Amino acid sequence: MSEGPGDADAGAVAVKPGRHREATLYHALAGRGAGAGHTLEELRAAALESFRVSELPVWRRSGFWTTSLQALDLDTLEVRPGKGAPGALPEVVQRTLPERARAGRLVQSAGAVVHVELDPALEERGVILCPLEDAFREHPELVSQWYSRRLTIDRHKLEAANAAFWTGGAFLHIPEGLIVEEPFEIVYAIEEPGVAQYGRTLVLGGPNSDFRVIEYDLAEDFDDYPEGQRQALHAGAFEMYLMDGARCRLAAVQDWGSGEVFDVSSRFVGVGRDAYCHWLPALLGGHLVHQHLELAVSEAGGEMAFRGLFFTEEHEHLDVFAVDLHETGPSGGDVHWRGAVTGESRASFEGLIEIDPGAQKTHTYLQIHSMMISPKARLDMIPSVLVSADDVSASHGGTVGELDETVIFYMQTRGLDRPAAVRVIVEGFFEPLISELADEPLEALVREKVTRKLAAAREDIEAYAVSR
Amino acid sequence: MADLEIRDLHVRTEDREILRGVDLDIDRGEIHALMGPNGSGKSTLANTLLGHPTYEVTQGSIRFKGEDITEAEPHERAKAGLFLAFQYPVSIPGVSVANFLRMAINAKREDPIGVKEFRTQLQHAIELLDVDRAFTSRHLNDGFSGGEKKRAEILQMAMLRPDVAILDETDSGLDIDALRTVAEGVQRLHDEQGLGALIITHYQRILHYVKPQFVHIMLDGRIVLEGGVELVERLEREGYDEIRQEYGVGV
Repeated sequence: MSEGPGDADAGAVAVKPGRHREATLYHALAGRGAGAGHTLEELRAAALESFRVSELPVWRRSGFWTTSLQALDLDTLEVRPGKGAPGALPEVVQRTLPERARAGRLVQSAGAVVHVELDPALEERGVILCPLEDAFREHPELVSQWYSRRLTIDRHKLEAANAAFWTGGAFLHIPEGLIVEEPFEIVYAIEEPGVAQYGRTLVLGGPNSDFRVIEYDLAEDFDDYPEGQRQALHAGAFEMYLMDGARCRLAAVQDWGSGEVFDVSSRFVGVGRDAYCHWLPALLGGHLVHQHLELAVSEAGGEMAFRGLFFTEEHEHLDVFAVDLHETGPSGGDVHWRGAVTGESRASFEGLIEIDPGAQKTHTYLQIHSMMISPKARLDMIPSVLVSADDVSASHGGTVGELDETVIFYMQTRGLDRPAAVRVIVEGFFEPLISELADEPLEALVREKVTRKLAAAREDIEAYAVSR
Repeated sequence: MADLEIRDLHVRTEDREILRGVDLDIDRGEIHALMGPNGSGKSTLANTLLGHPTYEVTQGSIRFKGEDITEAEPHERAKAGLFLAFQYPVSIPGVSVANFLRMAINAKREDPIGVKEFRTQLQHAIELLDVDRAFTSRHLNDGFSGGEKKRAEILQMAMLRPDVAILDETDSGLDIDALRTVAEGVQRLHDEQGLGALIITHYQRILHYVKPQFVHIMLDGRIVLEGGVELVERLEREGYDEIRQEYGVGV
């Protein structure tokens, strides 16, 4: 199963070198980053130049998958403050985020940060939570050595746009040895169409710190705006660096609502020596979403659990590239994603395990499970493995599921009607990951969103029954 | 009029006719055994009674408590008080036994069952089926042994309190202890709740623990012989071949 570049035996069955890459579309950043040795101004200028000369991206995988941003009318979108009064929490945030204890919260609406709160006791102990803009002024030595260290600024026009134009942003720093029970919440909200939101997050986990971060990406539904005027853009860049021995549980809930929100984002998490990250994004809606997610174990002894779930509906288009990168061994990885599709939505999940030559004694596993709920939805799940070390184990597995009529009948004989039975199946399908969030209010929110999508997909579910 | 009334039931699948005119009456509080060799149509009858979409009723009718349910959806039949204990229960990953039971109970009710009432009923059922508490927090049938799956079926039956339950080869694949637990569970639900049951089996051994009042022998899609427990003894002596010859059904 592990077919690295050095897998010469493959020739014996007349397989051309690189065959295993044919189905794949994306590449890991694999150590590239724009930041080192450059000031923010230099990086913005370089990104602006790249933005000027590049077209909106189209990603095309041999024949059967295309993610095109050409429908995005970038000229009509602008970077501007949120529509609410300064300091007011956007309604979609008030409505969605659970009431709970938290360590801190930063909320950006459209182009500006509207709300920052931080537990004073944590502030006293050296925790920093502030807009990234401010952090460049107030903590330049800390920010400049990490900013864009592992993120590029010129692979495509929207990445360049983010690096050139970002405003607001979030900076979180947990000092050495600090253990924080409650989560930090970082929120990006879009309340109206016409907005281009260039979100930028930098999180630094000091040595032996232990903390949790929940990111929310939320938008209103835009139903009140005329057709053709419902576009908005979130082009995000997120980077997190965990120093030696740091531990972080990172979760994300993304639901861009029913408007035409385009989301093209890159996220990088770097895991240092003996550090650990559990990362679980829940991608629950967006008109067109392209996510490059990279979790890298950069130092010996690092461990990670890379989880994720997605659920697309109607005409949504989701394109996820998730990388489990091992740069130094020994290290451990465990990737587990689950996705379901309804309506006429399309989803593609490319999962890549990449093990560098220096990452001997790495053990990692990638599993992908999918579930089709509608006859018109499309779902591609593409695992791939690139191994350049010989003393490692790397493998992948997964299941492609449809609704099982036997299981539905079983539940019907217990009194559940068909939609209820389907709901049980789909909720059960996601449950292993949802329960891993290990956070009651967050689990409840994700369950509720899954349930609401299923209710909306009721007609599809009936149609699927008839089609078979 | 019996609670469950099956008249001249003909059933086919895509490729062939399986039931060729079945008549059967079952009342609450009665225990019936339906016996017959493999392929005689017993499981088809069980699945048809609950409305499995693979089986098409081409003639005849099923009435339950006076209502014609021949074309009813499976969940409507369940809500009316029918239950099927599956020969091969399916697993439902991600859903605990307790949560599933709560959902199933609530599907039959206007208002959701209270926490306390549910707990009391569950405790009772747990004792009846001789399983431990932890059993109910496991995912339904996920990684269960054969015996655990069958116990889980009867546990559901105990909680859902149907009027008439069909047990489709619930005894197959069980060791003697599991068989006794399951069979005694059925007997107690009969004694305590007035459960009516149709026990489908091709072995006699479960009938040492549950005492049927009526025994039916099915051959080639028809019930060819009916009587009391003495029929079981006759089967034990003679086997199906004698009966087949006597009733002249196709060999």
